[in-house]
Amino acid sequence: MKILIAIGGREFSKPTLDLGMKIANSFKSSTTIAYVGKKISQFSEKDVSVVHQNLDDRELYRPGIRTLEWAYDFLISKKYIEEKDSNTFDDYLLVDEENSRMKVLLKGQQSDKIDLIMRTGEIIEQLKDEVETNKHDITIIGGGGNKGIHQKLVQFIDSSVFVVKNYSVYKKYKILLPVNDSEGSDMAIDTAINFAKSYKLNVEIVSVPEGKKSIEEVKKILNKTKDKFSKNKIKTTTKLIDGLTVNSIVNYAKDDSIIILGVSPKNLIMKYFFGSKPLSIALKCNCPVLITK
Amino acid sequence: MNESYKIISSSILFWFSQKKWFVYSILISIFLLNLNTPLGLTVPAYHSLIILLLVFMLVTFEPIPFPAIALLTLVLQVVLGVAPPNVVASSFMNDAVLFVMGSLMFAIAIVHQGLDIRLAKLIIKIFGKSKRMFLAGLMTISAVLSSFLGEHTVIAIMLPIGLSVIKNIDTQQADGKNAVLLTLFSIAYGTIIGSIGTPSGGARNVIMINYLQEFSNVSIDYWKWMKHAYPILMIQLVVAYFVLQFTFPSSLNNIKMRGFKKNVVKIDVKKNINHLFSCLIIIGIVSSWFAFNDIYGLGIIALAGALTFMIFGMISWEEINKNTNWGVILLFAATISLGFQINETGASSWLVLKFNELLATFPSNSMDVSWSIMAVLSGLTANFFTSSATVSLIGPLAIELHPTDISFALSSAIASGFSFLTVISSPTAMIIYSTGLVSTKIFFKVGILMFCISIIILYLMSQFYWVML
Repeated sequence: MKILIAIGGREFSKPTLDLGMKIANSFKSSTTIAYVGKKISQFSEKDVSVVHQNLDDRELYRPGIRTLEWAYDFLISKKYIEEKDSNTFDDYLLVDEENSRMKVLLKGQQSDKIDLIMRTGEIIEQLKDEVETNKHDITIIGGGGNKGIHQKLVQFIDSSVFVVKNYSVYKKYKILLPVNDSEGSDMAIDTAINFAKSYKLNVEIVSVPEGKKSIEEVKKILNKTKDKFSKNKIKTTTKLIDGLTVNSIVNYAKDDSIIILGVSPKNLIMKYFFGSKPLSIALKCNCPVLITK
Repeated sequence: MNESYKIISSSILFWFSQKKWFVYSILISIFLLNLNTPLGLTVPAYHSLIILLLVFMLVTFEPIPFPAIALLTLVLQVVLGVAPPNVVASSFMNDAVLFVMGSLMFAIAIVHQGLDIRLAKLIIKIFGKSKRMFLAGLMTISAVLSSFLGEHTVIAIMLPIGLSVIKNIDTQQADGKNAVLLTLFSIAYGTIIGSIGTPSGGARNVIMINYLQEFSNVSIDYWKWMKHAYPILMIQLVVAYFVLQFTFPSSLNNIKMRGFKKNVVKIDVKKNINHLFSCLIIIGIVSSWFAFNDIYGLGIIALAGALTFMIFGMISWEEINKNTNWGVILLFAATISLGFQINETGASSWLVLKFNELLATFPSNSMDVSWSIMAVLSGLTANFFTSSATVSLIGPLAIELHPTDISFALSSAIASGFSFLTVISSPTAMIIYSTGLVSTKIFFKVGILMFCISIIILYLMSQFYWVML
């Protein structure tokens, strides 16, 4: 499994980085920490590039490196990386790769499990390119900023998207798994099983009767899902909730929930213009949300 | 089939989401093309204005690369019957375009020589007695150099000096943060203000000089421009110094003036000779701009500067080719060509006529009102559209307002240089923003004050000082 963690400002990126690394460690996956720099106007892009080269030559940190250095120090302080004298940021090398991608190599860096990269440009375009080029399975991004970014990420990025909203290291989380009979829901169940096993988290399976589905049919879906978890020796509770799907789930979710959802089976064009239920839940709720693909 | 549909529709949607402004711009243009031509306008003139609007939208939102916008502008001029192919081709290249090309190459050659190390030593030697003096010195040197060599050259040289003295400052504390901002803004404002000082300070100045020569047969040489603009520059510098000290109060305790020295590699004899020779070339080129711009034009002299660096092996063609923004050169060439057609087709006269009709409804002195609107419009447009592109497109209108009075054209060009509001307005602003230490909000907050004061200074100078020249 390959995980991409996108970071921005320092304070806001702490929870994203922390949760992202926990997931990466529990799945023993390789991780890329990406800093996407501000998009530069075409008028000034060459001027900016010349200045940044100049800063490198003068051994002055170029923008973005400071954030990656902070991220690296944070990983060491949390013991996600083993600290060695040789793997500090005092001696780094920037490797200019294709499509505005720059890889940071540290002298004496032993592990190939964690990559630090910098990209410059429009964030969706850059993350999409990163996921497509390096085949990441999960993209983890902070919950702050523009909601449109999350919508576009879910829409266009070819990986599961984890939006880390209001995450606290001190809380004991439980998984909230809304299910129905769609293909996306099956994928969400598989992911939730993996997560629950790795973290030993409790799981709450919920379902909302939609359309012409009877209560019995919905209960059947709930029980079937519960069985899958029981086979994996994971504790679950089930709940049938009434009302409009999005609002009911958003209201039901608590601050200590991690919602895991499947991607909507709706037509892409319809989703682009009118949105989808998983997307609306991700935008409205106040806790971390993983949309699986 | 289902998978292929998903991939195709996802690709189309992604393209649309990234390029939606291109689609909107084209739809708006098609809609306007289908309307009746406004009374008093010829069809080519109307079409040239539609292309103008299209270019404004595309350059502002950047949905497609600049070279593509440039080519589209040329193609549309011919296809929509604004001008025949040969006329478009001949208006595509002139001295202003050569200046843009030459000054960009010249800038890369200068930056490549590593003169910042020597300059830092010089600034510390002259202004190093106190930290406030040092910042004032940074600002002044940035302004003087920028007035002759252009913003992009000077910011590339001065920023490493600025960043090195603030390298270890803790920006979490207000005093430290203010010290960082004060240093960066001192360089940025010095560089921005300086660019109005001489014709070679910015491409917009050269574009306006060219337009004045072509449309009004008025010639402005290097010295004449300086006489008009340099006093404004000096007043602005003093004002900017106090505005920044007031906005970012700091003890400056954390600034390490000698910080740059740590990074200074031992300069060997070869480097010494290189630096000496670079300075001689720069002095030679600036002197030539003073002495020979009437004969050779500013563009050819700028190209000669880049050429000299290349001939003497001080920079390779590969380096120049890699770092020159060819897209911007193409775009300026195309917008200048469009500017010529807007004038030739009579579109600018029509716009000015409508503008004057609007002014007639104002009770106060129409000259003052038209000056104010033109200057503020130039300044604001430049902040959202960049200065040179603004002058290349609305320059003809400023001249047409008062063809024989250069104060309108000069004011428009100078006001376009007041890039204090947005980070996209000039290379300096974008470079400072790209450090990640300055936010768009802070840039605007300080900039709005500087912008308003600068417009007032420009107005007063045009009313009371220029009339004496």
